[in-house]
Amino acid sequence: MRRRLRDNSLGLVFGGLFLVVLGLQALAGHADFNQRQLTEGLPPISLGRYVTSASFGADVAENWQSEYLQFFLYVVLTVFLIQKGSPESKAPGQSGLESDKEQKIGAYAEEQSPRWARTGGWRTRLYSNSLGFAMGVIFLGSWLAQSIAGAAAFNEERLGDQHDPVSWARYLTEPDFWNRTLQNWQSELLAVASFAILAIYLRQRGSPESKPVGTPHTATGIEG
Amino acid sequence: MIRSVLAGVTALALLTACSPAGGREQAADEVAERLYAALGASDGRAACDLLAPDTAASVADDQPCAEAILDEDLPDQPGRVTRTAVYGQQAQVKLAGDTVFLAAFPGGWRVVAAGCTARGGGRPYDCELEG
Repeated sequence: MRRRLRDNSLGLVFGGLFLVVLGLQALAGHADFNQRQLTEGLPPISLGRYVTSASFGADVAENWQSEYLQFFLYVVLTVFLIQKGSPESKAPGQSGLESDKEQKIGAYAEEQSPRWARTGGWRTRLYSNSLGFAMGVIFLGSWLAQSIAGAAAFNEERLGDQHDPVSWARYLTEPDFWNRTLQNWQSELLAVASFAILAIYLRQRGSPESKPVGTPHTATGIEG
Repeated sequence: MIRSVLAGVTALALLTACSPAGGREQAADEVAERLYAALGASDGRAACDLLAPDTAASVADDQPCAEAILDEDLPDQPGRVTRTAVYGQQAQVKLAGDTVFLAAFPGGWRVVAAGCTARGGGRPYDCELEG
């Protein structure tokens, strides 16, 4: 049991931290929402009502979509793009989908290879892109959720300001939707770009996200 | 894993944006209609009971709300409800001859603004009665 926990500690710790931070976000968001309610002469709402509100939903989904967009782009673009010296990049000259032999699929699959890597045909093609596909689908689903919850939250504010509500389609053209979207995208893209470049020159001893400390700056695709 | 994340995302959107508003819409309609029924019957006290506290305080500037509200320049014939929108803690009820804005309070919907006219140009409604 203890060994199992240790062998899965990365996923468990991040999953646990996610739940804790989501709970803290709910508490802070609830307090913020109620501050605005009181400012407008309206009564505070319960925490239960807040966590099922469009306001909370939009705040959560807008961050989810950008994170999954980041991973989707990172997974897919690192197939083709190179950053010389970065442990996150393949070595120059290796860009592309690589051969079946290098990818251990079809006739080159090993005994322990996943079944769909061995079968060939559409299953292997699908499985060969399943990570990027999953990230892309979750990104689109979260972005859709952001747009639906965001439209409802936006309309709640509009009614409070004595404006007519807008349709979901109209909301997609509103600055509020694109401001929420783009402010998250830019931060994710900055994080990826800076990580790919800083990892050329800086090290984190023992981390698989870093090159080993003594590895030259010019070495590409080597993880510690 | 993917299925559960997708289910979570869908549930989040449905839970937050598509929660049943039918009952709340009807309740908002009824409050707007009761406001005008009270005004039609010159029952200022009943009309003021339907106002949000800040709106009632704003009406009762020089004289008690129950008297002052009867002097407000609100439509005599507001007509029937034509459209209702409910989002979270806010609602808008459009009648044939008026637009009423409401907010959710512990006892139900209360009127925040009434006698509202659209101004266009991205500006908010111009309301005779508001907090």
